[in-house]
Amino acid sequence: MVLVINGPYSDSGHEDIGHPERPERMVAAMAAVDDLGLGSELVVAESYTASRAELVRVHNGNYLDELGAFCYAGGGNIDDDTYATFDSWTIATYAAGAGLKVIDELRRRDDGVGFVAARPPGHHALADRAMGFCLLNNIAVAAAELLRLGERVLIVDWDVHHGNGTQQIFWDEPDVLYVSTHQWPLFPGSGSASEVGGRHANDRTVNLPLPPGAKGDVMLRAMSEIAGPVIAEFNPTWVLVSAGFDAHRDDPMADLCLTSGDFRLMTNYVMDCAPRPGRVAFFLEGGYNLEALRSSILATLSTALGHPQEDEPPSNGGPGADHVARTRQSRLVAIEMLRHSDETETP
Amino acid sequence: MKTFRNLAVGYDGSLDSTIAVRWALRAAREVDATVTIVHATGLLEHLRARYSPDVLPPELLGLAKEYAFDESRLRWLVTNGDACSVLLRMACAPVNADALVVGSRGEGKRDGLLLGSTSLEVAEHATVPVVVVPSTYVDH
Repeated sequence: MVLVINGPYSDSGHEDIGHPERPERMVAAMAAVDDLGLGSELVVAESYTASRAELVRVHNGNYLDELGAFCYAGGGNIDDDTYATFDSWTIATYAAGAGLKVIDELRRRDDGVGFVAARPPGHHALADRAMGFCLLNNIAVAAAELLRLGERVLIVDWDVHHGNGTQQIFWDEPDVLYVSTHQWPLFPGSGSASEVGGRHANDRTVNLPLPPGAKGDVMLRAMSEIAGPVIAEFNPTWVLVSAGFDAHRDDPMADLCLTSGDFRLMTNYVMDCAPRPGRVAFFLEGGYNLEALRSSILATLSTALGHPQEDEPPSNGGPGADHVARTRQSRLVAIEMLRHSDETETP
Repeated sequence: MKTFRNLAVGYDGSLDSTIAVRWALRAAREVDATVTIVHATGLLEHLRARYSPDVLPPELLGLAKEYAFDESRLRWLVTNGDACSVLLRMACAPVNADALVVGSRGEGKRDGLLLGSTSLEVAEHATVPVVVVPSTYVDH
């Protein structure tokens, strides 16, 4: 397994006392990696700071300038959820660089599974705005690099919150398929089933909203029944996972009721989407109960490596089975409407 | 010139957003417009809910009474998202606000910093007119 962390900045610097997105999350993530007991099979690669050229593929240049200046002026609250410190710019660019590094390592080795254990998380960061604890969109920066290399990228986002930033950045990009499972309604308010992509990327966004209390069986069913055929048709050459673990039943930030065993099943699913070894990387997003975070990361990575470790059993029996049918119908209508509007606007 | 019929104003409990609500209530009263006061529920509010979607906060009810504002034309919304995105959504269905009102700074913001300025973000992306009420505004 290839592990990339954002260097010496993983557990310090970007810290607001009492904030749930805190350095201790990295300690829990690293403990899960230790639990794997990989010994010499664990490859730890050092991150580097993503360059401006790599960042502007997904972020507005003015925003980058402003964020950097804001941090070096001492930082502060960006919104009610999101903060920056003097060190945040450095740490965030290392986190973005960690995704690039893991891509580079996997390409070179043509084997293994990547895990980007970096913070702050990224999937809420828009092209021109920080939000939802996120400053730079780490997974989008990595996907943009793969696009530059001519790849077709599947992004599976199983964080409990919709990855509005990633969706926005690749909204009209036909070579990125964005699939998100998330609680809905919930922050950030986007992610309805009828959001299916832009004119040039119709059906390249698959949102699978789940009601509060939903369990793993419904999530997996939505993935296989709705996203499955789209993924098969897309035929990705790479799979990147926005691996947030705040859908766990013990997480305080939301109300889905997954167990670590559900993340094992979801991992099996995404691994089957990859064309060959060395083409899957997991990016840490949310997950704020440290015990749940540790056990869920362990379940995910051990499964990805082919040796699933003991965990909580998968969950089932919650609400949301009826949502799957409604989601399918909403998507079909939205896809047809977009297709129709495209046809009528074509000269 | 079009008369405003439906104003939406952002509220986060800060002094600046209260001043914005004051301006909106007074302006709406003059033209018999509806006011939608909207609170954006961020990530952290899942840990400590500040407002109920079903109950207009007493301080806002007090402002409505102070301005003798017809409560039947006052709506209270609590909705998921960041402050900027939520206020921008008010210009769309089902609210269809024809103007957005925002305080010049939200809670926790510092003078002189552009990043994180809801008012600037809203002004940049809005599809309807935006009123930015300065923190120095005094309602005479």
